[in-house]
Amino acid sequence: MSTTTTIPKKLPGMDLKKIGKDLYEVFIGPQHPGSGHMRIIIRVDGDVIVEADPDLGYVHRTMEKLAEGREFIKIVPLMERMAILDACNITLPYVEAVEKLMDIEPPPRAKYLRVLLCEINRVASHLYGMGIFGVFLGHSTMYMWPFGDREVFVELAEKLTGARLTHTYAIPGGVRRDLPQGFKEDAEKAVRYMFKRLEEYRKIFLDNPVIQKRLIDVGIISKNLAAKLGIVGPNVRASGIKYDVRIIEPYEAYDELDFEVPVYEEGDAFARAWIRIIEIQQSLNIIRQVLEKMPEGDPMHEKFWAKAPPLYKKVFQETKRVKLIPLFANLKVPAGRAFARAEAGRGEVVYMVESQNAMKPYRVRVVSPSFRNAIVFKYIVPGHRIADLPAIYGSIDYFPPEADR
Amino acid sequence: MTDWIRLLIDIIFWPPLFQLVIAPGLVAALLVVIFIIWFERKTAARVQMRIGPYHISPRLGGFLQLFADLTRYAFQEIIIPTAVDKPIFIGAPLTALVLSLLPVVSMPYTSTPYYYPLPMDYSLLLTVALSTISPIFIVAAGWASNNKFAVIGSLRESFVITAYELLIVITALSGGVAALSYNLVDIVNAQTPFYKWMIFTNPIAALTMFAAILMATSGFPFEIPEAENEIVAGAFTEYSGLMYGINMGSAYIKRFVYSLLFTLVFLGGWLPYKPGIHLIDGYIIPLVVVLVKATIVMAIISFLRAVYGRFRIDQALDGAWRIFIPLALIGFGLALLEAYMGVYA
Repeated sequence: MSTTTTIPKKLPGMDLKKIGKDLYEVFIGPQHPGSGHMRIIIRVDGDVIVEADPDLGYVHRTMEKLAEGREFIKIVPLMERMAILDACNITLPYVEAVEKLMDIEPPPRAKYLRVLLCEINRVASHLYGMGIFGVFLGHSTMYMWPFGDREVFVELAEKLTGARLTHTYAIPGGVRRDLPQGFKEDAEKAVRYMFKRLEEYRKIFLDNPVIQKRLIDVGIISKNLAAKLGIVGPNVRASGIKYDVRIIEPYEAYDELDFEVPVYEEGDAFARAWIRIIEIQQSLNIIRQVLEKMPEGDPMHEKFWAKAPPLYKKVFQETKRVKLIPLFANLKVPAGRAFARAEAGRGEVVYMVESQNAMKPYRVRVVSPSFRNAIVFKYIVPGHRIADLPAIYGSIDYFPPEADR
Repeated sequence: MTDWIRLLIDIIFWPPLFQLVIAPGLVAALLVVIFIIWFERKTAARVQMRIGPYHISPRLGGFLQLFADLTRYAFQEIIIPTAVDKPIFIGAPLTALVLSLLPVVSMPYTSTPYYYPLPMDYSLLLTVALSTISPIFIVAAGWASNNKFAVIGSLRESFVITAYELLIVITALSGGVAALSYNLVDIVNAQTPFYKWMIFTNPIAALTMFAAILMATSGFPFEIPEAENEIVAGAFTEYSGLMYGINMGSAYIKRFVYSLLFTLVFLGGWLPYKPGIHLIDGYIIPLVVVLVKATIVMAIISFLRAVYGRFRIDQALDGAWRIFIPLALIGFGLALLEAYMGVYA
């Protein structure tokens, strides 16, 4: 028995579109092992992609709107949900913007601690990206290794902040905790281990003839195109443009640290794979430097804890731990607009915070790196084969929750 | 009484039946495949700093996990979408399974004529011919699925077939050419001293056939027709439950059959063992030797999963036609030279 249902001619978003002759429309995602929380609609002629259409928004959580109804401190854990592996990087500009509005400068030790967690996050984020990249190319070892090694840095972050992923470490005025005992030794051990592992990644993945064949000259983003589309992060640096907020507009302690930003001219998927490895190396160097140069002092601006109740003040002075609630319960931020940006693992993240001298912001606007990178699919995927789509996707390190917000 | 036992043994060990159903056919193939999947998962886990299957039977290293998986496949609901071409959708995987098993009957596992399943004069030709039948049914299954990913998967499968089949035919026949016989028994017996195994005298053909087996059975780095991140499960995207298990099983059985052929032609078959004339020393032991060698070949194929990613389809075809076909022809030439010089005479 067959039932015939009449399909209405036009439902919103379900218009039947004519596509070219001899083309085949394939929906990669959102329920597809190689898509993540997004959909790329591709039209193929045989095996060659003619058109690609990235369709975002599957994990949109109205974060900007939610932020308007929350106290200033509660927005930090909210925004962390964009990229939980990159929690410190992705929320740091927000904290900086709030600090600008309040006209306070965090103490130098807090700046170093923020940089420390940012770089730990950057390593973890790049490792995650490399792992996904590996499995997209069918290389299961490169999937498991970075995911296993990421654990080292996740645990390092846990030691520092008390939380594995969503740390809420950087808060207006400083950081939530001081450096714990014995952290320096643990970090040194992790850094040495990671340097050793990167060499092994190179051997099994980047020097692998199969992988090189898949990546070299695939998904080339030319310098012009990268500039025109406004790509950010490792992707733009792999296309020969030296754009890194840490250098262009140094924030926190980055102007006192010595590091290099790698730039590749090729702009293909292979360059994007390499650039992440080099960036991990640079981040490891930064972690070492930060731990050496770390100045003494309080990890929190005195304006905050001076007003705290005696018990909390005592806790802070003895253990250097900040109890969040009493300090921030009725934090009023002076009216005004502030803008701040930072270099997250996947690129530049920008915040605009507007306050009207209230306990909640009037508006929080955020532009995340993945959102700016997503447009790349439309321009570089056509002309490649279906098998190249995962290679390009992995090399871009696109992270849907970050793009959709 | 003893006559009855004698008769029973004769029936069970009647070579055509025994080889198709018990060893190296259905039962042994299933055991070998289960072992190989377990081995694949365990070695990959070892390379990748994991443990692999463990919690079901920790003492056996999680070996029973595979039986649990098998049970799951067996009892899962088989969903047949309404839009598929039903007879082909159901029939094609089953036919492919049976046909991929057929070549085990045309191969000898002993040099005692009493235990040949068939007359062995042209067994090499027959085996190669039988092994080329089953892939067409995978293409049919993908086409009948009426799914975009399945169609792309079966297209890829058909491209890959054109690439590897010629390779396997040329390289397998180069063994026959060198030994001046299409009889697999003669080919095996010709490789008598250890250093005369054809993998040593003709490594080019052996390497090419190994690569062709990888291509034929979706082994890494040629795991193209089922590339998960690109086309979900290739031709088998719409299959579920036992039907999916059968599809996977026939892929592994295909790999097993090619490994057996590789063992006979290049690895000296049951040598260095000399088969006797009785059941145990004339049939069972040489069979076990061949099975062990074939399992080792399969284990090497499985291990490559931990090392390589996958090629793109055009790169694989390019490699097959531009590198491996010339290599296969060189191997064939080498075999001709050996035949001319009488290496195996």
